[in-house]
Amino acid sequence: MDDGAIWSVIVSQMPYLLTGLWIGIKLLAALLAVGLVLGLVIALMEVYGHWSLKVLGILFERVFRGIPAIVLLLLFYYGVGGYVELSSFAAAVLALGLRSTAYQSQIFRGAIQAVPQGQLVAARAMGMSMPRAIGEIVLPQALRHATGPWTNEFSSELKATSLAYVIGVVELTRQAKYIISNTQGNILLIFAVVGLLYFIVNWAGNRVLYRLEDRLAVPGFERRDAA
Amino acid sequence: MTSLLEVRDLHKRYGETEVLKGVSLALERGQSKVVMGPSGTGKSTLLRCINHLNPPDAGTVLLDGEELTARNLNAMRQQIGFVFQDFNLFTHLRALDNVRIGPMKILGTDRKEATELAMTELDRVGLADKADSYPAELSGGQQQRVSIARALAMQPKVILFDEPTSALDPELTGEVVSVMKQLASDGMTMLVVSHELGFARSAADEIVFMDGGHIIEQGPPDRLFTAPEHERTRSFLQVIAAHDHEGDGGTA
Repeated sequence: MDDGAIWSVIVSQMPYLLTGLWIGIKLLAALLAVGLVLGLVIALMEVYGHWSLKVLGILFERVFRGIPAIVLLLLFYYGVGGYVELSSFAAAVLALGLRSTAYQSQIFRGAIQAVPQGQLVAARAMGMSMPRAIGEIVLPQALRHATGPWTNEFSSELKATSLAYVIGVVELTRQAKYIISNTQGNILLIFAVVGLLYFIVNWAGNRVLYRLEDRLAVPGFERRDAA
Repeated sequence: MTSLLEVRDLHKRYGETEVLKGVSLALERGQSKVVMGPSGTGKSTLLRCINHLNPPDAGTVLLDGEELTARNLNAMRQQIGFVFQDFNLFTHLRALDNVRIGPMKILGTDRKEATELAMTELDRVGLADKADSYPAELSGGQQQRVSIARALAMQPKVILFDEPTSALDPELTGEVVSVMKQLASDGMTMLVVSHELGFARSAADEIVFMDGGHIIEQGPPDRLFTAPEHERTRSFLQVIAAHDHEGDGGTA
């Protein structure tokens, strides 16, 4: 195949790849959102909750960090999907989202514990209620500690969206497979483009998160590498 | 007439060690008392038991005749200022926000009024020009003064000071002590745990001497410093005075 044919394949197939990428990004946004909300709840339970809640949180964490992502995807799609109506996209959001919850809860727990105890004590001594002291004093500081590790989690999960391939979510990697079947061959070329697309989204996402980290930085909370 | 703050027979134990063995104390409106005594005697524990940061095992605390309980804790703490040894300013907030967060988020004062109040209190501790600084940009002495302004902004009935100058270099101690002296002469009711003789001699109405979880004796500084009743008090104050002289104490 000559060079012209290669380029025409890329150009003609690009809309499909971008559609796949868009599905992947939606999956990423949904699973990170699930992980953010539940991860924070579990972290707060583990730090401030009754011991039974701590045990529950740790158990959840161990289970979802201890099972491979692909196995979780299959379990949710074929297992849970066997009892309740679950699209492959929804199954992927649940499986990867709960897995991300486990990782994010660790990030947030560490970040909350990095806030000196005296901060909460000072707020409580003023007569602030516990929820308000956590919301006004502890979390704003903890979330600053968390942005760095969270950027890492963003990158991991972006790449993990490609695993949703196995349960038939038509995201970027599966689109690539379709294109390769339809155009007979071009394997190396198409996967190279797919790799580049993942790379670009990851790079852009990291840029945004670094900028966020800079904007949130106040004296005493500088980015470690900025010092 | 009831005392502003009344502490009755407080007991507190950590594991095997009984830190407070029945401490009673009363503070009248506008009075300032300094608690002194060897370390490990329960002075800080006493302060932390008063506002239930460490709830006492037994005994009662009455503020204006009302007893502190687990149910009215937040409402009562709003009227009891607390100044910490290591300041504990909110790291992510500018000085101004540190001072106005209490009125705004706890008392529900509107933003404009809280800002004015906060600026007044910052001015009172001589730091109006540092309103936009973050704690990390302030010296220890400045941080402690902001934390005093933070306590004042809640317009408390009494302020408890837990070794407010112990974490400071001698040259920074003076600026904090002079703010505290000013407060005392403005009629603020204060209970101060400190070995800072400058404040104790000139601003305290009474010195309370504690040892081994008990109050050994208390009285006006003149009497306690010159003619203490107990040998234990006398020898302790002698050591403190000698040390203060030697290090020049940084007293203003």
